[in-house]
Formats: sequence, structure tokens, C-alpha cells
Amino acid sequence: MHHSTKKWIFTKISSIILIPFMIWFLVSFVSIYDKGYLEIIDFFSSRLSKVLFSLLVVIAFFFYTLTISEIFEDYLHDEKTKNVANKVLNLFAIVVPILTLITIYNLN
Amino acid sequence: MQNNNPLSPHLQIYKWHISSLLSITHRVVGVINYFALILICFWAISLFFGENFYQPFENILNTFFGKFLIISLCWTFSFQILNEIRHLAWDAGFGFDLKIAKITGVITLIGSFILTILFYLVGRNFF
Repeated sequence: MHHSTKKWIFTKISSIILIPFMIWFLVSFVSIYDKGYLEIIDFFSSRLSKVLFSLLVVIAFFFYTLTISEIFEDYLHDEKTKNVANKVLNLFAIVVPILTLITIYNLN
Repeated sequence: MQNNNPLSPHLQIYKWHISSLLSITHRVVGVINYFALILICFWAISLFFGENFYQPFENILNTFFGKFLIISLCWTFSFQILNEIRHLAWDAGFGFDLKIAKITGVITLIGSFILTILFYLVGRNFF
């Protein structure tokens, strides 16, 4: 299978999976965003919240990394700039979810 | 390596239609949601460093600007969800007819505002 076809299929599959997680997060976030520290910690102390939030972060970074690299493909003319931009994008897609997951599984 | 792929033309050469408006909005909203996702991760990470470290986040989110950010997030997520479903329908071969594409475009745009209100009200336990 061609690289671009594979990328397109991964983008589409991740976009479908992401929808219910976005809905869950949005409703949950709206209900807690203005609450105090202890109430937010209480939200993340639930196993369900931890699992759903982790899946949201991992799938969302996967999806956005693929889609934003497409935007780079369309609008960045210089190959070197595009490569650097994609490397930074991939680095963020690894580092930020790992740090987030470590954090929420270590909240007391 | 020399890449001879054609690049997207500049936006100003197009005459605006609902389809082109939603297409560029979809891209812009995608980028906004990516940065929002990073901010959401920083928000979660900040909890790890204790109550004092989290305080600025709490202060900002409790202002009028904070509420504006949350409602904006509701809209950008809503728009992306609806337009993504529209794209998935196209991928499955449905809705390509020009008239249908215009109708689904209008539904996506109006629906995104309705969904924003719904998400906010459900989240705030108005029902």
C-alpha cells in the first residue's frame, strides 16, 4: 500500500474514533473548568476519567499530527522547513501525551 | 530531494462559496484545536505541581475571558465533529451533488452553533 494511502486511512479511522471522546471530554470539561483544584483532582481520581482522557489525548495527537502534516504538505514550499516542522510536530506528539499520561496516573 | 508536487494556490484567487468557506474554516479550526489540545494537556500537567501552581489556571478560567475560551472550544470541537462527519460521508461516496453539498454545508455551520449551546448546557447540568 502506498504511504499516502496508509496515511489517509489512519487519518479517517482516527477521526471516527475521536468523535465520542471529544464529546465526552467537552461535556466533562464544561462541568469542571471553573471548579477548584481539589474538585479537578477528584474528577481525575476516577478510573474511567483517567482511561477516557488518556485515550482522548493519544488518539487526538495521532489525528492532529497526521492532519497538520498535510497542511505543511500543502502550504510549506521549502523541503527543509517542512522536514523541520514535521519533526517538531512528531516530537510534540510523543512528549506531550507521555507527560500528560504520567501526570494523570500519578495524581493523588 | 526535489519535490514537484503542486502546492495549494492562494486563497484570494477563489470566489467564496459555502463549500470553500467551510473547507478553509475546517483547516483553521483543526489548527486551533491542536493548540487547544496542547493547552488542555498543560492544564492537566499543572495539577501535578500542586494547588499553588494550578491557581493561575483556575483564576483565568473563572473570568469572562475563561468562559469565552470554553464556549469557543465548544464551537471549534462541534464544528470539527460535524464537518468531519460530512467529510466521512463524502469518503463513502454520499453528498457530492452540488445542491446537497451546499445543504450539508449550511447544516454543518448552523448545527455547530446548536451543538455548542447543547454541549454547554449539558455540561452545566441545565437539563
